[in-house]
Formats: sequence, C-alpha cells, structure tokens
Amino acid sequence: MLTIVLRSIIIYLIVLFVFRIMGKRQLGQMQPFELVLTLIIADLATIPMAEVSVPVLHGIVPLFTLVILHFILTFFCKLSLKMSALISGKPVIVINPDGIDYKAMKKLNLTIDDIFEAMRGLGYFSLDQVEYAIMETNGKISILPKAESMPVTNDSMKIKVEPSALPITIISEGKIIKENLQLANFEEKNLFKFLTKNLNKTKLKDVLIMTVDFNGQVFLQTKKGKRQTFENARLK
Amino acid sequence: MKTFSNIMLILIFAFLVSICIIEEFVVSNSLSQAMNDSLYIEKLLDEDNQLKSMTISLAVDDLEYHWIKNESKMCYLVNHKNIQEIGLEISKLKIYQKDDDLKEFEACLNAVKFYSQGYTHFMGASVHNVL
Repeated sequence: MLTIVLRSIIIYLIVLFVFRIMGKRQLGQMQPFELVLTLIIADLATIPMAEVSVPVLHGIVPLFTLVILHFILTFFCKLSLKMSALISGKPVIVINPDGIDYKAMKKLNLTIDDIFEAMRGLGYFSLDQVEYAIMETNGKISILPKAESMPVTNDSMKIKVEPSALPITIISEGKIIKENLQLANFEEKNLFKFLTKNLNKTKLKDVLIMTVDFNGQVFLQTKKGKRQTFENARLK
Repeated sequence: MKTFSNIMLILIFAFLVSICIIEEFVVSNSLSQAMNDSLYIEKLLDEDNQLKSMTISLAVDDLEYHWIKNESKMCYLVNHKNIQEIGLEISKLKIYQKDDDLKEFEACLNAVKFYSQGYTHFMGASVHNVL
C-alpha cells in the first residue's frame, strides 16, 4: 500500500507540473488537440498509480512525450495560420443577418437547440436580437447582438466617467499580502493605524477581506461584521 | 516564464532521449547476458554430460546472479510481469540440477534462451512493436 501511496504522490506532482507547464487554459477554452491531450494524460496517470508491476517511468515518459508534442503543435499553430486552421479549426459563422446558416450548422453537427441554448446562455432569447453568432474553435458560441439589442454603455450614452481602478487585496482572511501592499505603495505601519482606528478591538486575524484601489477607496469586512467602505483612505 | 518553459522543455526532451537510450542499453545488455550464460551452460553440458558437476553448478549460479542483478535494473524500465518468466525458469533450472533431471534441465535452459531472445524482440524499438 505504501508503494501505491508514494506512486500516487509522484504521479500527482508530475501531472500537476505537466498542466502548469502547458498553460492555464480552462477546460472550456481548450482547443481540440488540448482537450485530447488532457483526456490522454488523465488516463495515462492512473495506470502506474494502481498497477505496481508497471514502472512509474511508463507513466512519466508518455506524459512528457505529450508535453513535447503539445509544444510542437502550439509552435506550428503560431507559425502558420493554415496549420492553426488544420489543427484547431476555424471560427464559423452560424447566424448572419440573413438568419441561421443551415449549411454551417450541419457542417458543425449543431442542432437548432444548441444554438438557442448558447444564445440564451448569453442573454438573448430571440433570433431577432442576434446579428451574428460565431462558433469558436474552442466550441463556444460568441454572439454579436443587433445594434438595438446591445446593452447600453456609458460610451453609447456619451457619459463621462472616471477611469476604472483595479482593487488590490491587502488583507485576505486575516493575512496581510505584503506583495500587494508594496504594489499599492502602502506602508504597513499606516495600515495598522488605519485598522486600529476603524476596527475598534477587532484583531487582524478577524479581518475577512480588505481591498484598496488606486482611487484610494478601501473596502473592508471583518469575519463577523458588515462591509465598510472608506473613501480617500490615507495609507501611504 | 517563457525562458523557464523553454529550459523545462529542453530538459524534458533530454530526459526522454536519455531514458530511451538507457532502456535500450540496459534491456539488450541484460537479455544478451542471460542468453550468453545459457549458451555457456549448454556448451558445458555438451562437453560433460554430468549435471551435478561443479562447473555447471557455478555456471547456473552465475546465470542466476546476473539475472537477479539485471532484473532489478530492468524493473525501473519495463513492466515487471513481462520479464518474470526468465527468473522462474532459472529457479526451476536449479531444482532440476539438484534432482539430476537432465531432460527437464535442458527444457528449462531452452526456455531461458527462448525468453531471452523473445524479450529482445518484444522490448526493443522496432516497427513491429510500434505498430
């Protein structure tokens, strides 16, 4: 049993390493060849884990071979558009201003239900609302709504707004993220002063979340308390 | 990150190449040693038809010693179940030598030779194995 435990740890670490080196794409964003690789990797990893007579190398060698293959395919995809189209396919327009492209739909093996499901998922319940629908190479459907169905934006209303500020997490579940503190250009002593002033007797470990954006807006919530927002907090 | 990935890729590639070379080397050496040891025993048997002679006994011990040593190396590279028959036949060889059973001894020796040759074919890199 100890052998199986140790083998499982080794294989787990190697599979983790393989996925890390292959990139951070999520399952839904995978290209066809990436999905195939993932499925094979999952299967390969279990063989030496459970079968003690099979050397661990029999799991590692194919895994590493697939990593090399993955990078070769990715390299060729980047090198030429034709190669990319051959390996990953091309995005296909399934709805155009004339309506549903039946030929494209049949070619992609899609049903009307699939198209409507994708439309509903993006908030469009009628074909009237959709100008274009494109089947992406990763299997997702992207939709360009008709101008009259597009959501209203500040830009379309010609409203001037302040630029968006990215909030930086300073404290997460009682722990100060020093990297982010430096990124926000804040001093730790000022942070403690701010916490003492605004949290009464609450300790640092009781802080659930504290974020700061570059406009100086602080969002603070303790584990048992309600959220508080502070404008122009001086932490510098 | 890009440099790290490139370095890792080169390392992985080097690892794969070296594993393939080591496997080829270890497997062919181990099996050819088993084959040579068996042929030597066969030669001794032809020269002197006595199973219980000291020379044959030492040769069988050598065959067993070399196989155990090589088998432990091969276990890192090939499925253990695929190579266990040679070990089994060598154990039988020792029993039949003790019992002075020449026919069975020869049959086991032939089995060791057969498996050594067969495994070389089965484990080496060839079009047959790839397809």
